[in-house]
Amino acid sequence: MAEHISHLFIISIILYLAGSLFALCFYGWQRVGNYIALILAAIASCFSIATAVVALSAGSTIRLDFTIYHAIIKYNFLLDPVSAYFILAISVIGFVAAIYSIGYTRLYVNKRDTRFLGFTYNIFLASMLLVVTANNAVVFMIVWELMTVVSFFLVIYEHENPANMKAGFMYIIMAHIGAVFLSVAFFIMFAFTGTWDFGFDDFRKVGSHMPLIYKNVVFFLVIIGFGIKAGIFPLHLWLPMAHPAAPSNVSMVMSGVMIKTAIYGFIRFYFEFLTPCPPWWGVVVLIIGASSALLGILYALTERDIKTLLAYSSIENNGIIIIGIGLSMIFKSYNLMALSSLALMAGLYHLVNHAVFKSLLFGCAGNIYYATHTKNIEELGGLIKRLRVTAPLFLVGALAISAIPPLNGFLSEWLIFQSILNGFHIPSVIIKIITIICGAVVALTGALVATCFVKAFGISFLALPRSDHAKKAKEVPVIMLVSMGLLASLCVFLGIFPVKVMMVINSVNTHLLNTNILPAITSYDWLHTKSVQTNFTDLSPTSATVLGLILFAVTFGVLTSIKPRFVKKIYETWTCGISPEPRLEYTATAFTRPFKTIFSNLYRPQREVRTEYSVPNFFVKSITYVDEVTPIFEKYFYSPVSRAVLSISNRVRWVHTGSIHIYLTYIFITLIILIIFVGK
Amino acid sequence: MTAKIILPILQILVIVGFSPLVKGFINKIEARLQCRRGASIFQPYYNLIKLLRKDAVVSETSSWIFRATPYVTFISILIISLLVPVLSSQVPLNFTGDIILIIYLFALARFFLVLTSLDTGSAFGGMGGSREMMVSSMAEPAMILSIFTVALTVNSTNLSNITNLLLNNSVLLLNPSLFLAFLAFAIVLIAEAGRIPVDNPFTHLELTMIHEGMMLEFSGRYLALVEWASSMKLLLLLTILVNIFFPWGIAGGLTFPGLIIAFALYVVKIGFFAFLIVIVEMSFAKLRLFRIPNLLGTAFILSVLAIISLYVVR
Repeated sequence: MAEHISHLFIISIILYLAGSLFALCFYGWQRVGNYIALILAAIASCFSIATAVVALSAGSTIRLDFTIYHAIIKYNFLLDPVSAYFILAISVIGFVAAIYSIGYTRLYVNKRDTRFLGFTYNIFLASMLLVVTANNAVVFMIVWELMTVVSFFLVIYEHENPANMKAGFMYIIMAHIGAVFLSVAFFIMFAFTGTWDFGFDDFRKVGSHMPLIYKNVVFFLVIIGFGIKAGIFPLHLWLPMAHPAAPSNVSMVMSGVMIKTAIYGFIRFYFEFLTPCPPWWGVVVLIIGASSALLGILYALTERDIKTLLAYSSIENNGIIIIGIGLSMIFKSYNLMALSSLALMAGLYHLVNHAVFKSLLFGCAGNIYYATHTKNIEELGGLIKRLRVTAPLFLVGALAISAIPPLNGFLSEWLIFQSILNGFHIPSVIIKIITIICGAVVALTGALVATCFVKAFGISFLALPRSDHAKKAKEVPVIMLVSMGLLASLCVFLGIFPVKVMMVINSVNTHLLNTNILPAITSYDWLHTKSVQTNFTDLSPTSATVLGLILFAVTFGVLTSIKPRFVKKIYETWTCGISPEPRLEYTATAFTRPFKTIFSNLYRPQREVRTEYSVPNFFVKSITYVDEVTPIFEKYFYSPVSRAVLSISNRVRWVHTGSIHIYLTYIFITLIILIIFVGK
Repeated sequence: MTAKIILPILQILVIVGFSPLVKGFINKIEARLQCRRGASIFQPYYNLIKLLRKDAVVSETSSWIFRATPYVTFISILIISLLVPVLSSQVPLNFTGDIILIIYLFALARFFLVLTSLDTGSAFGGMGGSREMMVSSMAEPAMILSIFTVALTVNSTNLSNITNLLLNNSVLLLNPSLFLAFLAFAIVLIAEAGRIPVDNPFTHLELTMIHEGMMLEFSGRYLALVEWASSMKLLLLLTILVNIFFPWGIAGGLTFPGLIIAFALYVVKIGFFAFLIVIVEMSFAKLRLFRIPNLLGTAFILSVLAIISLYVVR
């Protein structure tokens, strides 16, 4: 069994690499090279899906050790249920995105090198799979960096646009700051392992005997290191820049699964390496999650670029996942294992849900861009009559992300609420209250998400088109729609049949926490789920869906019997006597204006109205209205830091005289200091 | 067994059948207090019957969302009416979902209504939709927290369990945190149902309207469905309020005499709270739009206090 799994895994990695190399071989036929790369990526993803499924159902841990003769680094990989779960998420999204890309890359044909896209895409997927399986700190950092660098190239794929270059550099700089923090964390832990291996297996033993002060340091290093990748506030800066800059098929993967590798890191460190952990760690993680969720969605709300909006919403969703992780850590530190498992299940469920619906939404945003060549939702409108298939697909994504039953977002939201409610088992009153306040934050976030996605769908798809781009839009190639249809049906499936997903997650939880809560939270096999405690509560989305269908049939029957011939007269919208025009429609800015007023302390909106007159003070020629949100994190956090860094570098610049003698002196002095230091 | 089949049907009939009456009752009392004679309390029924027999005018700008919304709204409210304990604290379908599902089913109805408000391309609709989202976003945390206070008092989020447990341990209802939660829930109820001082259900002026603004473009059967759904929503919120905080009289089982008594008391309780709504509407003017967050903020603070006091007292 173990051999099969490792063979499947190796085959998939080889296929990814083969795909990327093949892409480069077809020099003259860029399209062919690109298609071969993408098809191989899809096939490789099928293999890795198979790996994950077999590994999860076996529930075992498989080691893959590649010993290279005389090599210092030990290429160790480990496939346990945690890795398998992440592999599943990554490769499902990777598969769909590969198929989607076959259509989407037509946008770039004859404009730029599509082979390069295929080449990097395959390496990107392979590197993510290696990140979640690496079992050695050095290997982990290598593949982690590989993932960053490859995704950097994907972000700057459209490099003529200076904004994209800026986004790319912001991304790679921040990602490397994160990597520094991670390396330091690994080194501190390494000091306590007593071996030279840097193996994760040694780290797993280190938590019990590491002094608390070092553990705390590592805890914060890891929060920052992985937090940058996860896009938590205020380390999110790169995310809303880089994700929209990348081509949509790449944004799908980046937002859907790449930022989840940070969650993987959190789980490895906080549930395996640093255990046992004090309760306040969980509280810190919880608060970070809650604030990222709220701030993420507040910024998404006022956004007009559809991809930036989705990127901010990814921050929000990662926040929700981190809330689940934080709660689980709190429960675990009080030894409430069943509750810990419930909260972790909520987080992991939301992780896969977010991967599915965010990829769906990014894909649909890609469809919009493909059809209209704009990402600004103020220029869209009326697309529901032009992109007839994309519209319902986007709607499914929007409903799912707004946690509307019976779609999948609701399930994880429900589990999060149940975990929060079970916070009353925590002995400390303060933590209890913090937990419940987080519940309120999740509720507010949920309502704001609904507003945000009503706006995103309503303004871009409904009413009359607001520009010529939108008016001339045509539906995108079928293959893009098919792949999005797959994700949309996954949204429905994950929402209506939650128990299947819970069974999968339970094998992860059993591995991590040694607690099997499946019998406690499910009954009637497929259909029904309940909260951990007996008699706490029940939920059966299947039954709710069936009820809805029955009630619809009855209602429709009754209405038809009252009035068998129901005629709909088509007439134009009444707009107080003038003919309906796009200019009369409500805009995205107007739609979220009340929120800008309510949360004006956060947004600090800067509004400016300029009026031009043809005859002064009487006949208005044009009115310009500018409404911008002050980016307070850039203004009050990043600019002071960058200014400080610059001024310090200016001060120490006199060290670099340019004279070789001086530099030799420096080397000499360093040598002497080192000798003294070692001699002691 | 038969009771388990009959009770859901009975519940739906009570909610669907009596919701227009509640609206008519409120309108009548309000008219009387303003020294008008007012329309008959059955007027909402006449309106609905008239509307159901009419054809509809549909805007050419609108899409299938417009035509789907009335059904989605109506059906999601109907599902809720199966999950709320109305006459008996035993809800046969309670395994389907709890109060969180109910809150999110309300959200489903709202999501589609707001989409439709944007669908016809008129600015009035968008204005109403935007304000509706604002009010509901502000109301949701307070609603969830006040419900959580109750849920934590009895360790369940299932409405049927909550009512059952509170009915059997009435002492729990004397808990001061439940009183705070009740106040918060009452404020949220007024906001969610679109009553004065948050929204004025009687006008179609663009300055005052929130909920009505979204329904401007509906006609015929569609208007009937969304109007009915909104009056059902009012009745359902009232039902949740009376049956959680004042569960006395609700039938504990499924016996016939119990249900009759429960029904009589239910009518009295709903009537009383409908009357209170009228009193509130009579004594307050509609708030300015950006004062609404303050009111809902009060509700939020009350619910936070409720839950903190619950934890501290424990």
